Formats: sequence, structure tokens, C-alpha cells
Amino acid sequence: MTLVYLILGTVFGFILSRSGAADYGFIQGMFLFTEFQLYGIVAVAVLVTAPGIWLIKRRGRTILGQRLSIEMKPFHRGNVAGGVLFGIGWSIAGMCPGPILVNIGEGKIYALAALAGALVGAGLLGACYPALQRPFALPPLKVGAGEG
Amino acid sequence: MPLILHGLPPLHWALAGIGIAGVTLALLLLANRRLGISTGFEDICSLALPLPYFQRAAVTSGRGWRLPLLAGLVLGGFLSAVLGGGWQPTWALGLFDEAIGLGPAGKLAWMFVGGLFIGFGTRLAGGCTSGHGIFGLANLELPSLVTTISFLGAGIVTTYIVYRVLFPLVGL
Repeated sequence: MTLVYLILGTVFGFILSRSGAADYGFIQGMFLFTEFQLYGIVAVAVLVTAPGIWLIKRRGRTILGQRLSIEMKPFHRGNVAGGVLFGIGWSIAGMCPGPILVNIGEGKIYALAALAGALVGAGLLGACYPALQRPFALPPLKVGAGEG
Repeated sequence: MPLILHGLPPLHWALAGIGIAGVTLALLLLANRRLGISTGFEDICSLALPLPYFQRAAVTSGRGWRLPLLAGLVLGGFLSAVLGGGWQPTWALGLFDEAIGLGPAGKLAWMFVGGLFIGFGTRLAGGCTSGHGIFGLANLELPSLVTTISFLGAGIVTTYIVYRVLFPLVGL
């Protein structure tokens, strides 16, 4: 299965690279409302994924017969606070998490600094989690912040 | 607008959207996986940091599939460069070079700061553009809608401040 994930990641990375989703200028154009590209991409991706998820849920099993279980993300104050911080970072770097890796693959040297920052940032959140749990009503560690 | 990468024309947005939906649905249908990239940062942290946060099962049990997916993203970018005109290390940053014009050291600092916000923010919010913005919205999850509105709003305000107030560029 490792190969399947690697291939799906490669296809995803290629699309992000060639669509503008991993391009600094297109990200700024999205935030400035001068480029429709990214809004179109996300809208189509969501509108196609939604009925697909519904159908797969109705089927209830994966191709290999495994029972489907989608982990839902918890609702807490971190959604807004973390979302705002992430939005600031997305604008500054012109990359969200996937495109940081895509840009590294493309040979954009500065993307390595974005990855270093992101890892330090995630490390800080992990270190601060116990202190942030109460003010942000975060879930206990067992449940975690969800996948994504 | 051409891409920074070799000045290539971008794929049509509808085609890109369908492709991303295809990858998202394939992960779910093939392997019961919920698309999400920023959790992968925690996977990488968990390899080095013994903090309880990074040693919880939700992280360690997902490394086996998320780390290959992340490696694929790097490979996809690499192949895109190779097939689109050749791979070569570059500092080119398009609009940033025109309006802000920092050199290599400045770019590294700028990107590191951006990365800090991205790493801390996505993990506090429980996801990023992929897990909340695409999968979460498509699965009609309210936390994902709230998070998506938050990061989109903050990005709009930040870019406005950077490119309309601090470093305005004629014609942009």
C-alpha cells in the first residue's frame, strides 16, 4: 500500500504544481480577488468530492472490503484562532502545507525555510498543547486534533 | 497569469479540481483514509520529539500512510519541473521579487516566519486547506466551515496589508 500512497501523493503534487495552487502569485491573486483560479479549483474539488464521499459512505466499505470509518474533526475555539494564524502564514509564504512540499520538489530553495518554520510551529503547538487545552477547549490528547 | 515554474500556463481550474477530488476519493475508497496534509507535520515531529502530543496513537498510527503521501508531493513537484522544462534550484518568487525584492537571506527569514504561522495554526485548527477546506467541507463538517472561513479571511486581510498597504505594486 505504501506505493499506492506514494503514487497518489505524486499525482496530487503534480496537480498542485501545475494548477497554481502551489504558486506564490496565484495565492496572492486569490487573496486579492484578482485571480479566480484557486476559487475554481477548490469549488470544483469540493463539489465533486461531496457526492463521492456520500456514495462511498452509502457503500460502507473500501474496495478491499474494510469497513469505512471517517474520523470527524472536533469543534473548538482552536478552529477560529488556528485558522486565523494559518491564514496569515498562508498569505506570507504563499503556500499551504501540501504546496510547501511541492515547491521543495520543484527546486524552490526558500520553500525549505517554510518547511522548517512549519515543523517548528507544529512542534511549538505540541509543546504548548497542555497549556492551550483549557483556554481553547481543545479535546483531550487521546482524541487529538484530528487528521488534516 | 503564468506560473513561476518555467512560466508555464496553469491547468484549467476545473480539471485541477476534478483531479484533486479524484485523489481525495481514491484515498477514501481504496484505504479508508481521510485526506489531510498538515497532520504529516506532526508525523515528522513525532520522529524527533518525545512529547506526549506527538506520541499519541492518532499520530503514530498514521505515519505509515501519510509520510509516503508527503514524499509523493515532493516527487510530484519534482516531476512537474522535470517535464516542464527541467529541474533546477531557484530563488525566483514572481510578484514578491517585483514588489518586496528581498534577497536569499531575507526570503528564508520571510518564509520561515510564514511557516511558523502555518505549522502552529494548522495544528491548533486541526487541519489545513486539504483536511478542512476540501475533505471537511465536502463531508459537510461545521468545524471545517468555521476554520475555512477563518483562514480565508485572515489570508485576505494579510495579503491586503502586504500588497495594498506596505508594498503596493502598480498594475496589481
